[in-house]
Amino acid sequence: MTAVAAPPRSTNTALGWVKTRLFPNATSGIVTVLLFPLIVYLAYRVFLFVVVNGRWEVVRRNLTLFMQGTFPRDQQWRILVQILFLAFAAGVGTATASAAAADRAREAGIPVDRQRPIEILRRFWPVVLLVLILLYFANTVNPWLFVLGALAVSLLGTTARFLPTRLRHLGWLLVALSIIAGFQVVSGTTGRSWLAAAVVVSIGIWLSVRLERLAPLPRLAFKTALVALAAAVVFGIYTFVTVPGVGWDRWSGLHLTLWVSALAIILSFPLGLLLALARRSTLPALRVLATGYIELIRGVPLITLLFMGQFILGFMLPAGATLSSISRAIAAMTLFTAAYVAEIVRGGLQALPYGQTEAAQAVGLSPGKTMRLIILPQALRAVIPAMVGQFISIFKDSSLLFILAINEFLGVRSLVHAQTDFRGIAHAETLVFVALVYWAFAYSMSRESQRLERRLRVGL
Amino acid sequence: MTSETRGNAFTDATQARGEAFIELTDVDKFFGDFQALKDINMKVGKQEVVVVIGPSGSGKSTLIRCINRLEKHDRGTIIVDGIELSDDIRNIQEVRRETGMVFQQFNLFPHLTVLENVTLAPREVRHMPKREAENLAMETLERVQIPEQARKYPGQLSGGQQQRVAIARALAMRPKVMLFDEPTSALDPEMIKEVLDVMVELAQGGMTMIVVTHEMGFARAVANRVVFMSDGQIVEVGTPEHFFTDPREDRTKLFLSQIL
Repeated sequence: MTAVAAPPRSTNTALGWVKTRLFPNATSGIVTVLLFPLIVYLAYRVFLFVVVNGRWEVVRRNLTLFMQGTFPRDQQWRILVQILFLAFAAGVGTATASAAAADRAREAGIPVDRQRPIEILRRFWPVVLLVLILLYFANTVNPWLFVLGALAVSLLGTTARFLPTRLRHLGWLLVALSIIAGFQVVSGTTGRSWLAAAVVVSIGIWLSVRLERLAPLPRLAFKTALVALAAAVVFGIYTFVTVPGVGWDRWSGLHLTLWVSALAIILSFPLGLLLALARRSTLPALRVLATGYIELIRGVPLITLLFMGQFILGFMLPAGATLSSISRAIAAMTLFTAAYVAEIVRGGLQALPYGQTEAAQAVGLSPGKTMRLIILPQALRAVIPAMVGQFISIFKDSSLLFILAINEFLGVRSLVHAQTDFRGIAHAETLVFVALVYWAFAYSMSRESQRLERRLRVGL
Repeated sequence: MTSETRGNAFTDATQARGEAFIELTDVDKFFGDFQALKDINMKVGKQEVVVVIGPSGSGKSTLIRCINRLEKHDRGTIIVDGIELSDDIRNIQEVRRETGMVFQQFNLFPHLTVLENVTLAPREVRHMPKREAENLAMETLERVQIPEQARKYPGQLSGGQQQRVAIARALAMRPKVMLFDEPTSALDPEMIKEVLDVMVELAQGGMTMIVVTHEMGFARAVANRVVFMSDGQIVEVGTPEHFFTDPREDRTKLFLSQIL
């Protein structure tokens, strides 16, 4: 037997770490000596600002203003109920997703790893940190009780785990319905909100109803009829039941920022996907239209589009139709982001070897199914980082609504500093607070995107 | 195999026995100005195994890719099982349903498990219920001798295993003819045999096959006919024993002297 050299001695001690990492050679040693005091000094200044000199009174006294802006105070309960609905949706959603993953793992004969609640807290630690900071600024015990209540409601939602496998898709429908209900509690059933509800319910039914045993054609007809029926029922409910509320042209603060961003993101994805497919279409007219749209939108700054949305979109609507400035802003953000999403998706489509398309064609898959089952799943997975980057970007750019005199989260700051107590002072404090809140959400999105990448990388 | 004259390769034993299952008549194919196929005439009968050989760039792959319309031919007619290939997408789909194809680079779907790769087409094209498709898939995976890999992803398998999965994926559609486009060219030497074994077994089971390959041993063992192509033309057609022992054309002799 040949002698095997011993592995190099581990330097896994504190002193070893200092030696290898901080003073490996003369140059690095000098850098360490110079930088160390600087870092300590900066840390000291930050500490001084946060704990000693910071006039956090400005945040403490205006916390409600930051959260809901100029939303009518006597209607605040609507937002609280909305949060409860969303908490419920989150509970149902995580439970359904993890149960579905467990189903798949069980079927594939892989051990099931169930996520414990504590791991979900760790997963979303930036948001958890944010909630704790907000609670620290709270003046009464009520916000604490409310957060506990929301946690309880979301735990209640996790009982969706016990739905039988066959009914798993009902969980997703429940998520969609809770979100719609949460939205409606605040907005009331005014305007065209029935449309959004009808679309969500229709898509939910379309995706979740499985009719494997029917022949292909009646299956399509049956589903279409079912969706039409559902849309009609939704329309009927909204026609006969009127719930008062506060229309979203009066929403404001962080509440508005989150809804506007979420809607722009959710709406821009399918639109961008369609644009990407159209740009690669074999039909010249479609291709030219998509290319023209994408290049036009990408050539214009978002702020210009937002202004155009406010001043020009009105001319393009039929006479008598009106759109609130919030709706116009969401439309502009969606149209803008869709162009970028389209190019990102196109990049993913182009990166895929052509052999995949050929193999799908060779087994007889139709062009539509080739795209849906073979090409898109691989292409979209490849562009998750770029796509989430774009979504984070539009989330932060929602602060541009400030310039349109819409008091979203950043805009609320100017209201705060218009108060006599805070005129001209504590600007740094409010800026740091606003930045922290944006960061908590943006970083969570980034973390979730990395997680999704890891989970979808199986087999690659 | 009586007196055949030079240049007339399409007589007697070189012709398909019985009724033609695949028939190519005067087929031309261009890539831009480059003519990839020149005046191809070929018939393949039921249960026949035809091996196509020739130097690289001679149009072998283009020939079989025209048969399931992965390439569109520019002139002439191609008829597969009575269906003429035209621009009509329904005709193309129908031909593709009955034609299995195995690629040099496997082209498995990396985001699906082996089982899903094999069940995909039966479920989505033939609308077979899930359980039935899975039973069928396990049957075909047993035929290529890797049922134990069903739950893995293609990326976890060796090249030889991947190519056998690709064969199973094609077989699951119960095709009437199998097209092989250099199925062993991308494989490490020690894995070539396991793929060839599966192909030999298929041939002996009566599958109609057109195989583009450089494996002369395979051609000798199972081919009913060997087609030699060069510069987009069919130069010579013959039975393996005739082809390897007594080729007539100079180009064939030159090619064989280079590879044997």
